[in-house]
Amino acid sequence: MSSLIMTVRESIRYRGRSGQYSWLAHRLSGLAILSFLVIHVWDTANAHFLPGLYQWSILMFKHPVFLVGEVGIMAAVLYHAFNGIRVSLLDFKPEWWKYQGRSATLVWGLFLVIFVPIAIYMASEGLHHCQVVGEAGGSCWALPSLNDFRPFSEVHPVIAPGA
Amino acid sequence: MTTVSGVTTRTVKIDRRSNFERYAFLFMRLSGVALLFLAVGHMMIQHVLNSSTNLTIQFVAAQWNSWGWKVYDMGLLVFAIVHGYNGLRTVLEDYIHNPNVTIWIRRFLIVFAIVTIVWAGFAIAAFDPLTIPPTDIEVRIQ
Repeated sequence: MSSLIMTVRESIRYRGRSGQYSWLAHRLSGLAILSFLVIHVWDTANAHFLPGLYQWSILMFKHPVFLVGEVGIMAAVLYHAFNGIRVSLLDFKPEWWKYQGRSATLVWGLFLVIFVPIAIYMASEGLHHCQVVGEAGGSCWALPSLNDFRPFSEVHPVIAPGA
Repeated sequence: MTTVSGVTTRTVKIDRRSNFERYAFLFMRLSGVALLFLAVGHMMIQHVLNSSTNLTIQFVAAQWNSWGWKVYDMGLLVFAIVHGYNGLRTVLEDYIHNPNVTIWIRRFLIVFAIVTIVWAGFAIAAFDPLTIPPTDIEVRIQ
C-alpha cells in the first residue's frame, strides 16, 4: 500500500517535465480505454446473444453520466493515438530525440485542436437528446427499467426518443 | 529491491534465449498504427458522424448486414484487445516484480483476452440482421 502511494505521488512529483506528463497521460488514457473497451466488447456481443439486454444497455448509454464518459473516452483515444505515434516515431528515429519536448507539446496542441470541437459537438448532441426527451414529456436522467426488456433473448419493439 | 537515499536499484534477469519482449514491443508499434485508423476511425464514424443518442439495435443490424463492417469490427476487436492487454501487462510488470505473481498475471490476461476475442468474434460472425425486426413506430419515453 505504501508503495502504491509512493508510485502515485512520485508519478506526479518527479520533474521529468513534458515527457513525464506525456508518459503519465499515455498510461492513464490507455488504462481508461481498456476498462471501457472490455465492457463495450462484452456488451456489444449481447446484440447477438441477448438482444433484449443489449437494447436496455444502449438506452443506459444515453444517460447524461454515460454521455459525459463518452466524451472522456474520445479524449483518451485521441491523445493515446497521437502520443503513441510520437513515441513510435521516436523509437525508430533516435536522431529526432532532440525534439522530445517540442514533439510532446505538438501532440498536446494537435489533441486540443481536434478534441475541443468534437467535444463541443458531442455535448450539443447530448443536450439535443435531453431536449427531445423533455419535449416528449420524459427525462433523460431517468434510467431504463431492466424488466421492460425481459426476456433478454428477444428483440423488443422499442426505439429511443429522438432516434 | 533496495533503496539508498532516493536511488532505487534492482537486479533484472535478462533471458537472452527469448525474443518475446522484442516482438511485444514491435507488435505495440505496428498495432498502434493499425489502431490509429481502426479505433480513431471507429470513434469518428460511430460517435461523431453517428451519435450514441440515436443508437438502436436496428442500426447495428444495418451495419452488420455487410461483411465489410463485420471484418472491420473483428479487426478492431483483435488489435484493440491484444494491444490493450499487453499494455496492461507492461504497466503491471513495472510495479510488480515477483516472478511468481507476474506469471499468473500473464496467464490470467492471456486467457481473458482469448475468451473475449472468441466470444465477441463469434457474436459478430453469427449475428443475423434478419432476426432483428425493423424499427417500430412506437416511441419510448423514459
